[in-house]
Amino acid sequence: MSDALVEVEDLRVWFPIKSGVVLDRHVGDVKAVDGVSLTVRRGETLGLVGESGCGKSTIGRTLLRLYEPTGGRIVFDGQEITKLGEAELRPLRSRMQMIFQDPFASLNPRHSIGRIVGEPMRVHGITGRASTDTRVRELLDRVGLPSDAATRYPHEFSGGQRQRIGIARALAVNPDFVVCDEPVSALDVSIQAQIVNLLEALQEDFRLTYLFIAHDLAVVRHISTRIAVMYLGSLVELSPADELYTSPLHPYTISLLSAVPIPDPTVERQREAILLSGDVPSPANPPSGCRFHTRCPYVQPTRCRDEVPTLRFLDGEHAAACHWAEQIRTGQIQAAEPPPAVDVGPPPPEPAPPVPPPD
Amino acid sequence: MSLAEIEAYVEEELAPQGGLWRDAWRRLRRNPGALVGFGLVGLFVFIAIFAPVISPYDPRAQNLLLVAHGCCQGPTWAHPLGADQLGRDELSRIFYGARFSLVIGVVSVSVGLSIGLVLGSIAGYLGGVADTVIMRTMDVMLSIPGLLLAIGIVAALGPGLWQIMIAVGTTNVPIFARLLRGSILSQKENDFVLAARSVGVPRRSILVSHILPNAISPVIVQGTLALATAIIDVAGLGFLGLGPQDPGTPEWGTMLTQVDRYLQSAPFLAIVPGVAIVISVLGFNLIGDGLREALDPKLRGRA
Repeated sequence: MSDALVEVEDLRVWFPIKSGVVLDRHVGDVKAVDGVSLTVRRGETLGLVGESGCGKSTIGRTLLRLYEPTGGRIVFDGQEITKLGEAELRPLRSRMQMIFQDPFASLNPRHSIGRIVGEPMRVHGITGRASTDTRVRELLDRVGLPSDAATRYPHEFSGGQRQRIGIARALAVNPDFVVCDEPVSALDVSIQAQIVNLLEALQEDFRLTYLFIAHDLAVVRHISTRIAVMYLGSLVELSPADELYTSPLHPYTISLLSAVPIPDPTVERQREAILLSGDVPSPANPPSGCRFHTRCPYVQPTRCRDEVPTLRFLDGEHAAACHWAEQIRTGQIQAAEPPPAVDVGPPPPEPAPPVPPPD
Repeated sequence: MSLAEIEAYVEEELAPQGGLWRDAWRRLRRNPGALVGFGLVGLFVFIAIFAPVISPYDPRAQNLLLVAHGCCQGPTWAHPLGADQLGRDELSRIFYGARFSLVIGVVSVSVGLSIGLVLGSIAGYLGGVADTVIMRTMDVMLSIPGLLLAIGIVAALGPGLWQIMIAVGTTNVPIFARLLRGSILSQKENDFVLAARSVGVPRRSILVSHILPNAISPVIVQGTLALATAIIDVAGLGFLGLGPQDPGTPEWGTMLTQVDRYLQSAPFLAIVPGVAIVISVLGFNLIGDGLREALDPKLRGRA
C-alpha cells in the first residue's frame, strides 16, 4: 500500500472563453488551474487555501472528474483516472466523495433526506432496499441528526443540519477520499466548530483522507496535516501545517498570514501588516514570470517578471515557489514600503477581459 | 365531479412529490382567484363529462317549428338559452361544446408540451450543437405569428378538429421548449446536480430525478395558461372555417361562425358561445396565475 492516495501532476484546467452569435469562436482560456502538482497522502488532511477565484475549488472538482482536466495527470490509489469514461469511473466514484460549501444549494429541495442520503447507496448497489433505510438512519445518527430526519425535506433544516446531511451523503458509500469544498464557510462561527469536530471524528472512525479547501486560515490550521497555498491557479507554498504559520516562506503566504488578526491587543498593534495592493489579476491573462510579481512587496527586478518559479523544497517537507525565498527568510531582501493609500494601488498591469473565474 | 373532488384529485396528484408541492398547494388554497378558477374549471369539466345527462335535448336535433316564423327564438322555459337558426337547442349545444373545448385544450397542450419538453430537455441538458440546432429552429417558428402558423399547418393538413389541435399544439412547442431550456440551464449548475454526478448517478437519472422536477414549475404554469389560449385559438380557427366541417358539430368557435348573419336579429346566438369561451378561458387563467404565485420560489415558505 503506497503512501500516496491521490497524486496530481502538472494539472491544468482551462475554461474556454467563447464568443460569437451563431458559431462559437474560441477567443481565450480562463486558466483556473495551471500546472499544479501535489500529493495527498493516505489518512492525512491536506488543507488547500487561497483567495476567491484562485482555483482551489476547481482543483477539488477536477480531482473527482466533475470538471474535465485540460492537461496533466490524476492518479487515484495507483490508477490513472485522467482519461477514464463515466462508466469506468463509476466504481471509483464510491471511493471519492465531496462535501459542498453551500448547504442550501447542495441538497435537492424536492428529495427527502432519506432519498438524498440513500441515493449513493442505490447507485452503487451497496445495500438492498430494506437495509438502505437502516443504514441511512445509522448515518444520520452518526452525524448527529434526529432519526426522524429521513422522512423530512431539506427546507425544514438549518444550515448546520443541512451540512450534516451533506456529510452523511458523502459517507454513504464508504469513501476513502473526501474533498471538503469550504464545508464551513457558509456557517455561523458557533456551528463551524461543531462541523469541524464532526469531520475530525469521522476521519478517525472511517479512516478518511481529506482535501480540505478553505479560505479561513485558522480553521485550516486546526484540521490540516499539511497545507498548500494557491495563488492564481498555481501552488505557491506547501508545508506541514504548523510550520506554515511559524515560518512562511512565500511572500504571498507571509502577507496572507499578516492579515490574520491576533487576539492580543498589544501584539496586534505592534506588528506590521503587509497590505497587498491591487486586485488578483485575471486568470484569463495571468502575469508573466511569477504570477505574484505584480503585487509582491519583495519583488526583484527582471527575474520575477521573466522566469516562472518552480515549487522547490527548501527544508524537508516545506516547499515554496519563489526565486528569493532564502533571501527573504534571512532578511537580505526587505519588503518594500506599501503605497501611501491602500485604495489607490497601481492599476492592474494588463487590461483583462471581464470574465469571472469559475470557482 | 365537484370542486372538492377536484381538490382531492389535485392534492393526491401533487402532494406525494414532496414538501414543496404541498407547500404550494397550501398557498394555492388561500388564493381566492385560484379558488374561483378551480370553481369555473370544475364546472366546465363537470358539464363536459355529464353533457349527455344534463342536456335537455339532442344537440343535433332540429325542431323546425322554432324557426317557422323566422330566426330565431329567444330564451323560453323550454329552451333557456333559446334555439339557433336551425332550431337546435342552444343550451344543449353549449353543454356538448364544452366536451370539444376540453378535449381540444388538453390534446393541443399535450402535443405542444410533450414535444416541447423533449426538445427543451435535449437543448438545455446536452447543450452544444444540439442546443444551437433546436433553439434556432424554435426561433424560426416563433418568428411566425402563432395563428398564421396554425392556419398554415391546417392548410397543409386539411380542415378538421384533429388537424386544428395538432396545429395549435405545434405553435405551442417553441414556447415550452424555450421555457424548459432556460429553466434547465439554471438548474444544471446547481451543487446538488454536481453532488449527484460525484456520486455517479447516470446522466439520464440526473435529468429526470434531479433537474426536471426543479425546472418544471414554470412549464406547468405556462401549460395551464396555454390551455386557455389553446381554447381561444381553436375557436378562432373554427371561426375562420378551418374547424370541423360537419355543421352539426357543436364546437363553440364553429357555432360563432354560423351565426354571423344573425348578429342583429338574434345577438344571443353569438353571445352565448362567446361567454362560454370567456368563462372557461378565465377559469384556466386564474388557476395558472394562482399556480405561478404558489410556485414562485421567492414566496416559498411564506403564509
